[in-house]
Amino acid sequence: MNSTIALQHNKSQNVKTDIPWISRLINPILWIFFFISIGGIGIYFVEDATTWTLGTYFRINGLSLAIFSTVSFFGALISTYAKRYLQGFKFQKVFSLYSLGFISSVLLFVISNHVGLVIASWFFMGLFMSKLIGVNSDWGEARAASNYALRFFVASSLLLSLSLGLLAYYSDALFLNVIFENLSSLPYSVLLSAALLLILAGLIQSALFPFHRWLLSAMTAPTPASALMHAGFINGAGILFTIFASVLIASNTLTLLFILGGFTAIFAQFVKLLQVNVKHKLACSTIAQMGFMVMQCGLGFFNAAIVHLILHGFYKAYLFLSSGEEVEMRSPEQALKIKIKALQAFIVLIFGVLGAGLFMLLTNKTSLTDSSIFLTLIIAITVGQATYNIIKAKIYSYGQRLMLSAALFIIGIGMYALIYNAVSLLLIELNYAIVPQKLTAIEIAFGMLFLLGFFLMKLGIYRKTPWLYVKLLNLTQPHKHTVLKFKK
Amino acid sequence: MDLQAISKNIQTSAKVVGTTWPLYAFVTSNPLSGYESLPFKEACFRVFTKTGSIAYPEVSFFKHMMEQDFLSEKQVQDILNEHDFQGEVKDFLSALNTFQNNSQLNPNHEVDQILVKWLSVFLDEGLADWQMPDKKQGFYQAWKSLAKYDQNLAFPKGEKLPKSSLDAIHQLTAHLSEAEQLQCFENHFAALPGWVGYIKYRKDNQTDWQENFPLELEDYLAVRLLITKFLGSEVKANVKPSQSQQQLLNILQQCLAEVENHWQKHMLQKLNLKGQTQDKTAKPDAQLVFCIDTRSELIRRNIESKGNYETYGYAGFFGIAMDYEAAFTGLTRKSCPPILSSAFKVTEQNTSAHTQSFQDLETKHKKSEFKGYFLKRMKNILPSAFGFVEGAGLAYAYQLLYRTFGKPKKNKNSASNSVESICETQMHKVSDQSHLSVDEQTQIVKSAFDLTGWKTFAPLIVFAGHGSHTANNPFASSLDCGACAASPGRHNARMIAKLANSKEVRLALKEKHGILVPEDTLFLGAEHNTTTDEIELFDAEAPEEFKDQIRLLKKDLAKAQISATSERLGQEDSVNQAYKKSTDWSETRPEWGLAKNAGFIIGDRNLTKDSNLDGQCFLHSYDWEKDKDGSALNAILNGPMVVTQWINNHYYFSTVDNNMYGSGSKITHNIVGKFGVVQGNGGDLKSGLPLQSVKLTDEENYHQPQRLSVFIHAPKSRLNSLISDNEKIKELLDNQWIHLLVIDPERENQVEKYVGHSAWESITKTKYAEAVMA
Repeated sequence: MNSTIALQHNKSQNVKTDIPWISRLINPILWIFFFISIGGIGIYFVEDATTWTLGTYFRINGLSLAIFSTVSFFGALISTYAKRYLQGFKFQKVFSLYSLGFISSVLLFVISNHVGLVIASWFFMGLFMSKLIGVNSDWGEARAASNYALRFFVASSLLLSLSLGLLAYYSDALFLNVIFENLSSLPYSVLLSAALLLILAGLIQSALFPFHRWLLSAMTAPTPASALMHAGFINGAGILFTIFASVLIASNTLTLLFILGGFTAIFAQFVKLLQVNVKHKLACSTIAQMGFMVMQCGLGFFNAAIVHLILHGFYKAYLFLSSGEEVEMRSPEQALKIKIKALQAFIVLIFGVLGAGLFMLLTNKTSLTDSSIFLTLIIAITVGQATYNIIKAKIYSYGQRLMLSAALFIIGIGMYALIYNAVSLLLIELNYAIVPQKLTAIEIAFGMLFLLGFFLMKLGIYRKTPWLYVKLLNLTQPHKHTVLKFKK
Repeated sequence: MDLQAISKNIQTSAKVVGTTWPLYAFVTSNPLSGYESLPFKEACFRVFTKTGSIAYPEVSFFKHMMEQDFLSEKQVQDILNEHDFQGEVKDFLSALNTFQNNSQLNPNHEVDQILVKWLSVFLDEGLADWQMPDKKQGFYQAWKSLAKYDQNLAFPKGEKLPKSSLDAIHQLTAHLSEAEQLQCFENHFAALPGWVGYIKYRKDNQTDWQENFPLELEDYLAVRLLITKFLGSEVKANVKPSQSQQQLLNILQQCLAEVENHWQKHMLQKLNLKGQTQDKTAKPDAQLVFCIDTRSELIRRNIESKGNYETYGYAGFFGIAMDYEAAFTGLTRKSCPPILSSAFKVTEQNTSAHTQSFQDLETKHKKSEFKGYFLKRMKNILPSAFGFVEGAGLAYAYQLLYRTFGKPKKNKNSASNSVESICETQMHKVSDQSHLSVDEQTQIVKSAFDLTGWKTFAPLIVFAGHGSHTANNPFASSLDCGACAASPGRHNARMIAKLANSKEVRLALKEKHGILVPEDTLFLGAEHNTTTDEIELFDAEAPEEFKDQIRLLKKDLAKAQISATSERLGQEDSVNQAYKKSTDWSETRPEWGLAKNAGFIIGDRNLTKDSNLDGQCFLHSYDWEKDKDGSALNAILNGPMVVTQWINNHYYFSTVDNNMYGSGSKITHNIVGKFGVVQGNGGDLKSGLPLQSVKLTDEENYHQPQRLSVFIHAPKSRLNSLISDNEKIKELLDNQWIHLLVIDPERENQVEKYVGHSAWESITKTKYAEAVMA
């Protein structure tokens, strides 16, 4: 018997597919980026420095470090994940290059002091992200999705150019620090126009309603690219608004931001409920969270917005990277109705108040009359909601339920406060990181709207409105050229 | 045309699509099963005219085969000449390349898109909180009440929709002739084969979801016809293949057959056809029964080399036609071949000795259920979604780092707090909830011995089911046991071990069937973890006197794991590598499943024992001498062989057109409705294996697509009579969905190949060898 002849097709099972050397190289580069920025933060605190400048074109401040360390963390972690995940993918190399291009654009953006560089890097962020959406260029729908997204990003870049062009022209300066110093001398109409253009540019990039459709059409991106998009790229508005906070304040447009952000937050949280695939569900959640982030800017808490985008990044990156776990066999059953007893309701209330108190104390938002109360309210309801669910969990004894509820809110708020205070320290030299606004009727009205949304959801009234269902379903369909357009 | 005739035409025309199984029970079935009554070649041709899909391997496959000498250039040239192809082999390959890689616009784009939108919201199995209104009334009615709000539809004002779906179909197609109507229905079904396949699955299996929210094929068709009407779209006609396309298809068919021929010759060289048996007189220390799955070959070989062990191949549901109800969740899964209906149901019962552990486990389960509920509520509800993200953000950061850099956890052999170690399996009949009689129990055990041609009884006999253990893998169940309808086979293994240990059963075996199982023989259930090649013995209840023997066996199994994984993964530290693959959330190819399957060998282990079959063959133990009346072989042909044909065809079609029959690349998958995947933003539901299960890279195959070759060690006369008695088997063979080779022990193991319609071609082994060496 001639057993030296290899069996069929002669490939033993242990064939290893090579990871392209470029991908191998880029992975450590991204980690080095991250560690350098972390080192930068260390030095920043030790040296008590405010801003480093490299010529007049670049300036590195706490915000640059905070954003860059965040985005490079996601870039590096996702690239480690993608190294294996994309093995055998025809465009793995290109994927790595685009990721590096994107991270580098973010780096440039957060350290640019020159109007031209800001615009260029903003555009490159969009360009690289659209390339990642269409990285599988053999696939018709991916190309369509890439082009579709790019149109949004180009529009955003144009609006940003116009905004900065106006500011530069009227203040006769091309450097941001000079422009910011001269803001008070600009006519209000210029400030307002520039601010509105800026807001539009930001909202497009962060996919706020009604500019959300590019994000819902972007699932042609490989999962790690989506993770990078939802943890890094999408935060554009928060970063842009924080850098240009002084323009928004001078133009008195914070309330507008608050309303736009708030509306999206509620809208997207509702449309999330009717999504039937995991990535669209996550995308709607991202849109809602971005709405909330913009709302925080509108309340004058730019530091809170930065913290939110960092924490949301962790959350969303994790959910995307683990999105293969959503397959589950279930049986159709009615959602259980939960009734709450008076004593339990009382405990919920107490815990909500305690949570609010802890939050105010740890994050130093002690005023009851400015816009911070809004953020406190959100935390109070969250704690209440958590307690509400736990207090009825029969699996635990009463003592355990109390302990668990308390532990969760104390740890949760504690961890949040840790990051919040660290980021606030980093942003301390930005004069506009925290500018609490007076509570006006608008804020209060929106606060009520949030509560209304909360009760609508709790009671499930929306379920009985078929026209709304169809409307929202259609509003969240991907662009038609990005689905079923091609045969192969 | 009356409604009844329409109904009939709907059922007939729906055969153009296969079945789409849910990912939590991913059965690898033949996507062209509706065409099995046609010759393979004809089926591929029909499919091309219907969908434009080319059901033959790609250029890279033929190039590879030529490099490997499985196909010579001369042979190809001969085939080309035979079909009057103008040009050389390289011209053929380049023509093929153009033929296979043309991307076209979807003519039904808009209709497909709107329909998919509605199908996916209707069929959702719990991903969305806000469900499509009126689902309870069925798809057509639910859609009807919403259609007027759908602005994409151009719904005419005041239009009244027909009362029922059949009415609608009648209105819209009554003017067509029967043939036109069939054609029309077929095209509408073939437009979205994945979704239609899932409708068929729900219907065939009468799932809870189908019962609660009915969606019939006529509902699909009615809605589709109405959308088509509102949008003013044309119904797409069949593709008319050009002469050159037809020519290419014919050439492809013949090249494929040539490769298969060649492979069969190679395989025969590997088999020990000399007929001498190396029966050891000594009783083996243990006997292990594995599933016929191709992955068993590797582990069996590696166990046999570690000591005095004997292994068997038997369908991994171990002959128990059962459903399994998981402890605590109460969810019931099928755990026997999809071609069988489940007569029994197996549940878990805690043994009194472990009441405390059982309660602990139950609490643990309830806690994790609560955690899931809690997280969902926090994420969904306004405004806690925002507060939750802020409070839990750092925990997610930790998780990101942990899952990326954390050390993989190893399974602990028989963890003391697992369901398997504190519960016992209980079986009752589905029909009337009654327990099985001793005779019925005995019959199950006896069948195992009959079908595998069992001879002696070692002190330890292990029934090893198999299951895969992977992370972040929507296709996890596609790697589980095919004979258990994509469930892990561990519970079937535990059940049969329990039956075989029963005193009453052993008594009945002895008294009624003359099978004497020695008193000092213990049966154990086990699971072969195919991702790590670990074998977990369920020995918590094993009597004290067996402990030493079990310890020794475990030691050898650990050694077998090391050598098996290093053969498979070819690396230093292969066991850890395997565990890493098993737990890594970024791993898209945790194991290869049944890729590379090409043959099915039914016969004694001595035929295959000395060879490394490279995981290409299903192995079923069979002793022709102990099966005088052929009943065991008959059972094997109708059961395991049909299942292996499903698996083989599934792998074949998933490989040759991964987008159409497979599910494309995992990296852009998007889980829909908790049961399936779509690519990217949406589209047709994907119905087959992902690219990463059959391909090494986007361009290079790992699974080499070819039809199953079945080798049977039995007298030809016996096979002949079995084939002529089994219409279905005969059809599969005559239509060349599988190849059959007989190794005839009554004629010195002469090999003959079935060439259709009861004819055989006699070829001796030496002749094969010459052909190969030439």
